[in-house]
Formats: sequence, C-alpha cells, structure tokens
Amino acid sequence: MSMTDTLEKPHSASGLIVDRRQLMAGAAALGLGFGLPAASAAAAAAAETPKKGGTLRLGMEGGSASDSLDPRTYADSIPISYGWQICNGLVEVDEKGDAAGELAESFEPKPGATGWVFNLRKGITFHSGKTLDADDVIYSLNLHRGETKSGAKDLLSGISEIKKLTPNQIEISLKNPDASLPYVFADYHILIVPNGFSNFSTLDGTGAFALETFEPGVRVITKNHGNYWKPGRGNFDSVELRYIPDAAARTQALISGQIDAANRLDPKTVAFVMKAPTVNVVRTKGTGNRFAFVALCDTNPYTSNDVRLALKYGIDRQKIVDTVYKGFATIGNDTTVPPSMKYFAKDIPQRPYDPDKAAFHFKKAGIGAAKLELQVSEGAFSGATDSAVLYQEAMKKAGIDLEVKRVSGDGYWDNVWLKQPFCAVYWGGRPTIDNQLSQTFLSTANWNDTHWRRPDFDKIIIAARGELDEKKRAEMYAEAQKMIVDDGGMVCFAVGDYLDGYGKKVKGTAPHPHYDMCDQRVAEKGWFA
Amino acid sequence: MLRLVATRAALGVLTLLAVSVLIFICTQILPGDVAAAVLGQQATPDALKVFRAELGLDKPAYIRYFTWLFGVLHGDFGRALTNQRDIIEELLPRFMNTLFLAGYAAAISVPIAVGLGIMSAIREGRISDRVANVLTLIAISVPEFFVGYILIFIFTSQLDWFPSLATVSSDMSVGDRFYVATLPALTLTLVVLAHMLRMTRNAVLSIMSTAYIEMAFLKGLSRTRVVSRHALPNAAGPIVSVVALDLAYLVVGVVVVENVFVYPGVGQYMVDAVAKRDVPVIQACGLVFAAVFVVLNTLADILAIVFNPRLRHRRVASHGHLRA
Repeated sequence: MSMTDTLEKPHSASGLIVDRRQLMAGAAALGLGFGLPAASAAAAAAAETPKKGGTLRLGMEGGSASDSLDPRTYADSIPISYGWQICNGLVEVDEKGDAAGELAESFEPKPGATGWVFNLRKGITFHSGKTLDADDVIYSLNLHRGETKSGAKDLLSGISEIKKLTPNQIEISLKNPDASLPYVFADYHILIVPNGFSNFSTLDGTGAFALETFEPGVRVITKNHGNYWKPGRGNFDSVELRYIPDAAARTQALISGQIDAANRLDPKTVAFVMKAPTVNVVRTKGTGNRFAFVALCDTNPYTSNDVRLALKYGIDRQKIVDTVYKGFATIGNDTTVPPSMKYFAKDIPQRPYDPDKAAFHFKKAGIGAAKLELQVSEGAFSGATDSAVLYQEAMKKAGIDLEVKRVSGDGYWDNVWLKQPFCAVYWGGRPTIDNQLSQTFLSTANWNDTHWRRPDFDKIIIAARGELDEKKRAEMYAEAQKMIVDDGGMVCFAVGDYLDGYGKKVKGTAPHPHYDMCDQRVAEKGWFA
Repeated sequence: MLRLVATRAALGVLTLLAVSVLIFICTQILPGDVAAAVLGQQATPDALKVFRAELGLDKPAYIRYFTWLFGVLHGDFGRALTNQRDIIEELLPRFMNTLFLAGYAAAISVPIAVGLGIMSAIREGRISDRVANVLTLIAISVPEFFVGYILIFIFTSQLDWFPSLATVSSDMSVGDRFYVATLPALTLTLVVLAHMLRMTRNAVLSIMSTAYIEMAFLKGLSRTRVVSRHALPNAAGPIVSVVALDLAYLVVGVVVVENVFVYPGVGQYMVDAVAKRDVPVIQACGLVFAAVFVVLNTLADILAIVFNPRLRHRRVASHGHLRA
C-alpha cells in the first residue's frame, strides 16, 4: 500500500476509527435493553479489570530541554503528563467532563456560591512520607497567587482568602460568586506539594508514581510508589516518558513497538497509522485546539463589524478542515466553545461560507478596495499557513484582497499575537465554559486577543458564575456566545481532534472530554492486557 | 611545534572570548526573553515581572555578561534560566553522546571516504571513479532528514535490523550504544562522504600533476605505486584538513539528525535553549562548539606538519604556509 493511496481517501479511513465513548455507550444501552449473553458480559468485564505490572513507554511531543519540575512553569503536554504522574490536584475532571474530587473528598458551595468548603481526603501520604493536610493544600494553592510567575495566576485571581478550618478542611472565599470554582483546581498547574516545598529540582507528590530520573528534553522516568490510593489506578510498575518531537519519528516508533503510546499523531498520516495491525488510534472529536484568526476590534478597518462579518462569511471552513486537517477536526463557529462543551449554544446557526454576504458586508463597511493583511506562522499552530492560503482563495471569490504574510514562529506569542491587527492563534480547551470565555473575551482579560470589550458581555459572564439555576445559566451562556459570534473579532474556523496512538496491549485509554492521552493521565489510568 | 601549539591555544582562547561576546549580542538582538518564551501564550505582565526579577533580567545586559564571564573564568557555567539546572551536568553527558555519535560516524566514513578517494584518484576517469562520485553526490544532495527517513524505512520498517529511536542513556552497555546509534551514524556517514571523498581525490590528483610525480612515472613505476608511495604522503596535509572540518561538522551540525532519531546530543539542547532564550545555556553550547573547531583545526595543522618532512624539519612552521 502506498502513502498517496491513503492520503487521497482520508474519509474512508476515518470511518475506521472507533470512538470508544460511543462504542461503550452503545454497549451499555444494549446491555440494558436486551440483556447481553452472560458469557460475553463476563468476558467484557474481565477485559476491563486492570492488571498490574509492566513499564509504560510514552513517546511525546510538547516539551523541551528547558522543562522544569516547577508546576508554575508548565505550559505543554510533557510537563502536564509527568506532573500528573507524580502529583495529584484537588479536583480532577471525570469521564463525563464534571468536576470530581481528587485530593478533595468532597466540596460544597456556601450559599450564593460566594465561597467553597473543601474536605480533604484523610490518610494520603506524599512520596517523602509526609501525611497530606490542609496546610499542604493552602501552600500549594498560594504558589499561584499574589507575586508569582505562575501561568494559573489569573485562574485564581477571584479568590480573596483561603482559610484552614480543620486539618482536613479548607474554606475558600471569593471576591465574586463562582458556581464552577472546583473546575479551576483541575488545572494542571495547581498540583498539591508538601507545605514549604520550594526546591523544584525534584518533585514530591501524592501521585501513583515517584520521580526516578529527570532528564528534560530526553526522558523522564517514574516508578510506582505502591499502594496508590485510587482503586484500579496506578497499574504500571514504571513509566518511561521520552521526548520525541518529530511526528514521523514518533509514529514510526509506535508502529514498530519501540514505544507503547504516542500523542499528537499527524492528521496527514494518521489514516496510514490506523492500518498498522499493532496500533490503536484513539480519536477525541472536537475537544482539541481551537484554531482561529483574530482581528483587533479597536484597530482599523476591524473597528467596523461589517468588516468582521465579511471576515467570518468569507472563510471556507469545511474546505480547511478537509484539506489541512484531513477531516480530523470539527468546523468552528467563531467562539472557543465547541459543541462538546457544556452550555454550548446549540441554537446559534453555524455560519456558512457565503462569498456574496462577505462581499455585501465588506462593501457596506465603505472602506473601498482596502487590502487586508493576515499574519500567520507555523509557530502559532501547525497548519496555520495552509489554512490562511485557503482563506485567501475563498476571500478572492468575495472580491476581497487578503494578503497572507508568513512570519517567524520564533517569538510569535511575544511579537505578533496581541499586537498585530489580524493574526493566527490557537486556544486550548478549558474545563468550563466560564474559564474558556473569561480568559479570551472579558474586557479585563490579559489575553483578550481581539480587543473586543463589551460591558454587557462582562456582566453576563460575571453573573452566570454566581447563578445556581441551571436553566438560567444556560440561557446566559447562550446569550454570551451569541454576542461573540455576531460581533466579536474572532474567526474560529476549526476545532482539532486529539489523535493518540497506543500499542494494542495498552488498555484503559478511553477518550476524555478534557485533554488528550486520557486527560494526560494515561500513566495513572492505563494498564497492559 | 610546541610554540605552534601554544600560539594556537592562545588564539583559541581569544576566539572563544570573541564567540561568547558575539553570541551574547545576538541573543540580546533576538526579540523576547526567557520569561516571555517560557510563559508563552500564558504570560501576563505581572507574571513576567516576577519571573524577570527572579532571574536578574532586570539588570543591564553588560552587567549580566560580565557576571557570566566571571563565573566561567572560575569554571562555573551557571544554571539554566528556564529550569535552574546545572548547565555542566546537563551539557556534559550530551556532549559525550555527541562525541560518541561523531566518532562512530567518523570511524565508518573516514576510511571509506579516504579509501574511495584514493581509489578514484588512481582510477581517474574510469567507471569505478565515476560511480563513486555520482553515488556520493546523490547522497549529499538529499537533505539529511530525508536520508534518515530512507534508512529508517529500509532498516527499521522493512528489515527490522536496527531501532529508529537512538536514545542512548548512561545505563546502556557499550554494545547497545553502538547498536542503537547505527542508523544516525550511517546517515551522517552518507552526508559527509561526498565532501571527504572528492577532496581526497582532488588533493591526490593535484599532486599527480607535479614534476616529481612525472619523474616517478618516467622511472617506470606503476600508477598504484606512484599514488601510494609518492603522491599520498604529500596529499596527506590537505586530506587531514578536510577530515578535520568534516569531523567538526559531525559534532556541531547534526541537530536535524538528532531530531529524526531522537538522539540526546548537544544540538537539540542548544536549539531548545535558543527557542527559550536561555542565554547561559546558549553560551555554554556555543563555547563547546567553538572549542571543537579550534581543537580540530589545531590538530589538523599539527598532523599536517607530522606528515610533511619539509615542515617537520623547519624550526618555525606557521599556519599560513601550510595552506599555501
């Protein structure tokens, strides 16, 4: 079989992928409705009972020789992975996308969600032997508050005070009500370390695995610490995480069995990978990176909403998804909220590619035959340049001259993004719609990369945080999304799929609504058949 | 001879100093700094300020340079700005890996290149000369990473003889190291072969056109004997220079091959450091690379003297005359 064969027929191949969530849901429905034969049900149960032992060899992209063990500096997949091997958070996101207690056994809001009380699990010990208590948790949370370099600083900025109630209970007071606060503690920066732990040349945690070897840029080895407190988890004897930044090398290593799991398979070649008998490809649909072009709403000509609408009608989203992402992406609707997210506004129609409307709005803006410039770089996201060129072609049909300027990926986030009037950006998935919208669209957000500032929108978002009535909350978020879609400066054209590859003997790799590689916790969740 | 070595060593130190200044200036010209690069898309002005103060980046550039230089003169290369790891401890094993791979590749490529080069010179214009030339030229014309992929396709995917991941580690036996590093070494061999082969061939051929070689032929000696006994000793100097240059390339120019085979060498370490603007790490890698060039060039000059009786028996041999 040749490579070109598979590339020409991406869709026939994509049909082969089993979305396990659907498959399992289907099986459960069958089991309830008709009753499965006893033998096969038993077999299925046996197959799902985790076995202990073995070394999991991960081959990953998303890290470098500059990686640190300090959770405040984590920004990419590899640190997130070893962080969750070694440590736990207060909360984790479960298979359904809900906040579930991790080191917090339970949590409940104070009336009006103006504060939260977290009850910590008892009898949990760090690898160093210390027993977990409220002081450890408070210290760990405070690493990301006040004068800090932490990437999670903004997430915790709504907290006014953290108080110890008992050795196993803390109370968090908020500046404004927030009904979804627990999700914040599922963030990968916010790992729980012992009180006073400050020497991050090593890392002490309560995770299933203790750090053995840390060679950033080469490999990270962890060993099972034994007696992990989560039932059925922490099954591998050890985990060897290797840095394999080259997608072709990673794929090859997976197919030939030199590693057991690989992240970020290349959509261009994944159809070929799926044909390898040794490999299982797990696709998580529409929860990956949100790919977008962003225009600054306070810079001409993008101050005009007609120009912004022309930008949105003038892009052929389906063509980009099919051509650049080979079908392994979902088309976007100009917000960072994909259909898989809770409170996604289903009633807002998907904006189509409509050159006539684009031309109409562009004319209405009255800026004549102005030339627009879009700055892109592969440093923004892989496929940005190709997408931009397709965009340019699509805009041509609307009679709009869009110039694509390719810039260096080096220093892109520093020099281009947030500074240039129209440029490429990706946004990662966040556990809640509040996080997702707040970080990008609030007037006060540091990363408001469209300079779209609407006090009405801010009001809705702040109010929704404190709204405990589900229905009202959904309505508020629908309204907020509509405002962005109709008025915002973001042309979000696609949401990527996560594509993980596993060796056939790796089990427990169901897709997760949060991140790829089972929420980057495959080391903790998986086992060998 | 001793004087030569001493002069070259002194010049070498000056070169290294110049290199360090140059690298430092370049890293200052590059947009962004380590704090912005590490925090990337999640950087906030507050976080950046804290990070910069923590690393002393709020001090003027020249003060940071001299602080660094002072440390280096005391044998302290400092710690990486990004993750506070000791640079020497990080760099040394990687440098050993790089030397190992370069040595492995050289052990394969130098004998083949020099052997084929001499053979080509002896059989100038004949079919074996042409075949060797064409094949090596093809190998050098294909990008390195592609040569790597082709070798992976043949030796890993099809034949399953060698692994495509060449991650060597300290807990590996010597045999294992050679085994896993075979494909990258072969890739590098193919990359440097053409250059060395053609330079060897040309060096021998240019000697072949001199009067004393003609004399040797007139004495009735065979072509093989003329080349091996009369031409080769005099061609050795230029050949050694070329080999030294290629060896230096094997040490400093292999980041692409490291990437394809996931080989933990200095190249990737330096590239990561540049991406993150980790100046002390860039400096350390740059100095190591510059030192490799200085040492190999000095060695080449010394060897040229050893091979050349005229230079060997002169009191003063300066660098300039050798190349003339």
